[in-house]
Amino acid sequence: MSYEELSHTADVKIRARAPTLDALFGEAFQALMQVMYGEDRGGGTSRTLDINAPDLESLICDFLSEALYVSEVDGLVFRQADVHLDGMQLYAILDGEPFDPARHKGTEVKGISYSGMSIQRDAKGYMLDILFDV
Amino acid sequence: MPEGVIRAGPDEWEIPVGYVPGMRVPGKFFLSDALAAILEPGAVQQLANVATLPGIVRYSLGMPDLHWGYGFPIGGVAAFSLDEGVISPGGVGFDINCGVRLFMTPLVRSDIKKPRELLDSLYHAVPTGVGAKSSAKLTPAALSAMMEKGARWAVAAGYGLERDLVRCEEGGAMKQADIRAVSAKARARGIPQGGTLGSGNHFLELQEVSEIYDEAAAAAFGLVKGRVCCMIHCGSRGLGHQVCTDHLKVIEEATKKYHIPLPDRQLACAPAGSPEGTAYFGAMAAAANYAWANRQMILHAARREFVRMSGIEYESMPLVYDVAHNVAKIEEHTVEGHRARLLVHRKGATRSFGPGAPDLPGDLDAIGQPVIIPGSMGTSSYVLKGTATAMERTFGSTCHGSGRVMSRSQAKKKLSGKEVSDRLLSQGIIVRAPNEAAIADEAPEVYKPSSEVVQVVHDAGLSTLVARLSPIGVIKG
Repeated sequence: MSYEELSHTADVKIRARAPTLDALFGEAFQALMQVMYGEDRGGGTSRTLDINAPDLESLICDFLSEALYVSEVDGLVFRQADVHLDGMQLYAILDGEPFDPARHKGTEVKGISYSGMSIQRDAKGYMLDILFDV
Repeated sequence: MPEGVIRAGPDEWEIPVGYVPGMRVPGKFFLSDALAAILEPGAVQQLANVATLPGIVRYSLGMPDLHWGYGFPIGGVAAFSLDEGVISPGGVGFDINCGVRLFMTPLVRSDIKKPRELLDSLYHAVPTGVGAKSSAKLTPAALSAMMEKGARWAVAAGYGLERDLVRCEEGGAMKQADIRAVSAKARARGIPQGGTLGSGNHFLELQEVSEIYDEAAAAAFGLVKGRVCCMIHCGSRGLGHQVCTDHLKVIEEATKKYHIPLPDRQLACAPAGSPEGTAYFGAMAAAANYAWANRQMILHAARREFVRMSGIEYESMPLVYDVAHNVAKIEEHTVEGHRARLLVHRKGATRSFGPGAPDLPGDLDAIGQPVIIPGSMGTSSYVLKGTATAMERTFGSTCHGSGRVMSRSQAKKKLSGKEVSDRLLSQGIIVRAPNEAAIADEAPEVYKPSSEVVQVVHDAGLSTLVARLSPIGVIKG
């Protein structure tokens, strides 16, 4: 399981890999939090998300958009997400801590983009390319 | 330059119909040879894709700061017929009414004895960076009024002067705002962020008017050589981002419902007059109004710090102007000799209305509107004026800034925030930011040179140079 930042001129493009779709969504979630708040993220406070969408691309876009919303409005910085997919139904438990400006340093993400988004399957599992509009 | 693109003038290029299947009009963009050398081919493709949308009028246009964006390129302008055309959130962007305002002070640079202290006081007065919350406690009713009345609400609530509204695009509020189309989620994000700067490329900068190119226009705009001024660049914050996210979902469905064929999913759009299109337009206008109110609140906070730190009068700091650079508006333009009401999308493009155009302050009617073009951190910003040429050629539009050339990940690898701020300090420019990474991200070399971009629009006559502004100190979000 891993993710990396690809070169993109205006925004932040992420490539994530994981053996399962559940884990892939979890990786994308961690990448989002990393961009917004940096590496130093603790746990202890949880939130749950329950989302469905017509297709996989919409599902990841809606999941990350919802995570972004909850993080901003509840003032929470999440360490990780435990994601379960059942078809196009997603259930996730997010684990995080209250925002602390002294420790959480990153860039605001304005939105999750369909631009250049792809989810591919190969022998090793899944690979996701996704763009965060910053 | 990608194959098939035709040179149409010294700084002008045309994408002929047929470059991509389904183009209804040609594409046209303005670039010098130096800027053409660093153009991303994807941006040309996007301009051509926009030309396939129903009801597009005359051209899919690109300004010289053109670069690859979400669906529509950044630096893109597209006008649509109200009857047969569409509206697209991708033609506006996530940060609805991201824009710039500039105000003057009566001070000269040597009057500011302690620039770092002044910058620090401004930094503490304007909440900045990720997670920063407003000190203004907005009630839900105040938020509604903010979305309906924009900067007018802010001035009535004590954040500024009546005169500020005259020097603001649309008088600081779009009348088409429909707050019923703004979700509870968007509102929840808007409540704590009134008067906050945000992060990324948003900034507040202390500047000096260092060069005047057009004495008459500068005098009319209130620009005086040697005087200190202050520029504010930000948008509609989380509220606007959420409006875009919410309505993109609806518009995606509408694209299917109305059987609009698209070359790219990101161009999701709905007929301008459809319920879905109308709802997006109303919500977008509400978010635009939030942005105008937000910049008005920041202006007020900044003025108060100047009063406190420099002992000058609040009323002695007039607003030069406020421009939006991510917005869609209904405007009247002349097309093939006839007046037509069009839905003009500007995404990373600035309105550049010339003499006699509607919505100009009375005293600027013979001059044209001020066009404010921010530079990147550490480089000059410019004030230009709107022109008749822009009215004729680009639906009254010009560039909005300089455009990135280096990604954030590259910037972080190549540059440290400390190096960048030390280098700027050696040039007499103070930088203040929540953390060092934010500084490296926005270093001067990650952007195209703003002087080059501005020269192209000046030479093409899309807006003409009035003054150059040099940075003294910058607060990065």
